[in-house]
Amino acid sequence: MKISYNWLKWYIPEVPEPDKLADIFTYHIAEVEGVEKKEDDTIFDINILPNRAHDLLSHQGIARELASLLNIKYVDSAPEYKIPASVKALAGKSELKIDIQSDKCRRYMGRIIRNVKVGSSPEWVVKHLESIGQRSINNLVDAANILMYDCGQPAHVFDLDKVEGGLVIRNAKIGEKMTTLDNRDLELSGQDLLVADFKMALGLAGIKGGKIAEVTAETKNVIIEIANFDPIVTRKSAVRANIFTDARKRFENDLSPELGPYAMRELSALIFEMCPEAIFEDIVDVYPHKQGIRKLSFSADKISKILGLKVSVKEIEDILKRYNFQYKENKGKFEILPPPMRLDLEIEEDMAEEIGRILGYDKVKGEIPEINFKPKINETYKNITFARNKLLSLGYNEVMTYTFSDKGEIELKNSASDKKFLRTNLSDGLRESIKLNQLNAQFLGMNEIKVFEIGTIFKKGKEELHVAYGDKKEVKEMSLAEYTKSAGSFLNGLAGVGDPENRGPEKMTLPMKFQMWSLFPFIARDIAVFAPEGIKSVDVAEVIKENMGNMVTRGPELFDEFKKGGKTSYAFRLIFQSYDRTLTDAEVGDIMTKITNKIKENSGWEVR
Amino acid sequence: MDKENKKATEHPLSILANEAYQAFSEMGFEIALGPELESEWYNFDVLNVPGDHPARDMQDTFWIKDKQGYVLRTHCTSVSARQIEKAGKEGRLPCAFISIGKVFRNEATDATHEMQFYQIDGVMIGSIEDGISLANLKGVLARFYKKMLGEDSEVEFRPSFFPFTEPSIEIHAKFKGKWLEMMGSGQLHPNVLKNCGLDPTKVQGFAFGGGLDRIAMIKWGIPDVRLFYQGDLRLNQF
Repeated sequence: MKISYNWLKWYIPEVPEPDKLADIFTYHIAEVEGVEKKEDDTIFDINILPNRAHDLLSHQGIARELASLLNIKYVDSAPEYKIPASVKALAGKSELKIDIQSDKCRRYMGRIIRNVKVGSSPEWVVKHLESIGQRSINNLVDAANILMYDCGQPAHVFDLDKVEGGLVIRNAKIGEKMTTLDNRDLELSGQDLLVADFKMALGLAGIKGGKIAEVTAETKNVIIEIANFDPIVTRKSAVRANIFTDARKRFENDLSPELGPYAMRELSALIFEMCPEAIFEDIVDVYPHKQGIRKLSFSADKISKILGLKVSVKEIEDILKRYNFQYKENKGKFEILPPPMRLDLEIEEDMAEEIGRILGYDKVKGEIPEINFKPKINETYKNITFARNKLLSLGYNEVMTYTFSDKGEIELKNSASDKKFLRTNLSDGLRESIKLNQLNAQFLGMNEIKVFEIGTIFKKGKEELHVAYGDKKEVKEMSLAEYTKSAGSFLNGLAGVGDPENRGPEKMTLPMKFQMWSLFPFIARDIAVFAPEGIKSVDVAEVIKENMGNMVTRGPELFDEFKKGGKTSYAFRLIFQSYDRTLTDAEVGDIMTKITNKIKENSGWEVR
Repeated sequence: MDKENKKATEHPLSILANEAYQAFSEMGFEIALGPELESEWYNFDVLNVPGDHPARDMQDTFWIKDKQGYVLRTHCTSVSARQIEKAGKEGRLPCAFISIGKVFRNEATDATHEMQFYQIDGVMIGSIEDGISLANLKGVLARFYKKMLGEDSEVEFRPSFFPFTEPSIEIHAKFKGKWLEMMGSGQLHPNVLKNCGLDPTKVQGFAFGGGLDRIAMIKWGIPDVRLFYQGDLRLNQF
């Protein structure tokens, strides 16, 4: 959700500076995904958490939260609205008819406004919308959008003269068709909720308006909609239609229908400001499913126990006052009435979170519990560790390969990749691994590639831990149980990690840095040097190092050594590779010639 | 000579998993393992993820064809749930479990996203008198990250939301002077305890979970998560 700093400032003139505000969001409210300086404004992109989407997806919501959190003044704009006089339906015209036929519409407030003038919006409206990345469309549509970003309530405007009869909120008929404002043709299912007139669908409820009653430059009379729809129906419908709108986002996260009257007043005032000649008819409010009053009880003791932080009755009372919660307190036990918008506050633990985040989780000091747990040894893990250590000791290197395969017995219903099955063995992956590593054998400094994997395979009706190991000649595979049985003569008495009686030596890896390999091919070259008595291999390696340039990614590595007639033969291997191009045989040849010549300069040294 | 001294190499994630198990074992955690092909019940329902939650959508979870109600587990929290349910039945409270295992997400892969990866998941519960709290969570994870990332590492809490915890906390760890998002965590939601056959008026505790691959990438500077599963021995540098 994009939040304009200047917009916030309307409501909380004492808001801290943007830099400080970002930290307040991060540590008390939600993650700041971005901060953007824009002329004289700063725009925060805040990732509002799903449980706060009821009340924080708006500038007023955020401003209220900050005012309570920081104990600063909140300026309520409502008294400043110019409230238009309301009239009964004009003579000869009927009142707005609203017929709710589905319990998925919890409230529908409508109002006819006549004699509007569609045109461009005042400058402040355009500026506000643009600051949060929205485009100005026309004054009426802009008013509805400003309302949503200001107080969180989505709204819609219909051209009254294109509406047949009145409004009906009903389920779509199977196969019923509708064209959206942005000209997408939808074919609806029986579960989609519609706002319709007596004939046709006017909009997908809470998601997107339809083309039929679109407000245009010629529009003279309108109906404004302030409604509340069921979150699950909204989400399912929007997923089916693949429509993402800000209205959907708010309804699918559940909004309080109690927001309606405030929003109706704000929207009316906005339109009145833009169209002073407009005539406002009486509000029609159909509210069949009233939001109940919720009580929540909690104790200071329980909150302290959850947080691991002693929180006093006074601290809690201070928070409840700042947040305008009605409460009763008796001996550390609280009973509160959460505000209607705070649908997230249901149980005692919710209040622990509320109090914890408001106080700041930095107040919670880390403490390792002094409890004597009695852990048991995990036999499977012990066997995995045994198998791994055994195979490592036999010279096999460990790899991990993919669980996904292009064939198998268990198929996935859906997959982002073309491998839609689960592997039935480890051997296939291991053979691929051997092939790949064979190509790099010289780079790896291995004469033969020996690898193993311990992992899960999937057959019809069961998954099983397997062990597979092998080389280019042969790959063996069996269940972990079979492997430990066959290789387990020294398993007895072997202590695994997690064995509290025998933890073994602490193994700490060195703080090493990973070296990404080059994606270009390498060239391997060997050089064997006959050196007189007394010359050590490091002496020869030194000469090679001084002359090999900067393209050697591995070596010089001594791979053979023998004595003959008072002289010693040292054989080294060098791996040449560049990080940005393919080396040629010729340039590597030149380097080898240079090394050879330098070696020959030493008396008695000979390159074989 | 080099040839004889050359030891067979271990996969970096195995090295790290062992270190993590070691660190948690020292704090009394018991190692737990569980199935990778998991029931919808243990992967979602037990954990208080409602039936209409976006996470159950086709795009995030691998569903199994011809096996209604089964998924490739999307986290190891399913193992934690199975363990506390079992421990409760066996009367083994207080208890703590640590599970490191492969998890799956159905999403397009890139340098930081992979369809399979490893997760560390832990849980610690006890009686109300034991009072296992967020302070304990912070203590345990602070010690863990000191072991994994070095003694100068710290952890901090930030507000978050998960259906299975209340309060919910995002764990950030400081590594080389920078705060990095590491784990999701919090006190187990009463509904989760109830679903595991435990009485939330008598039992409380915390749970946490986060990527193992991510720790490896941060600790060693490994640039791409996909390198872990290629079967390429050039990865085994540690």
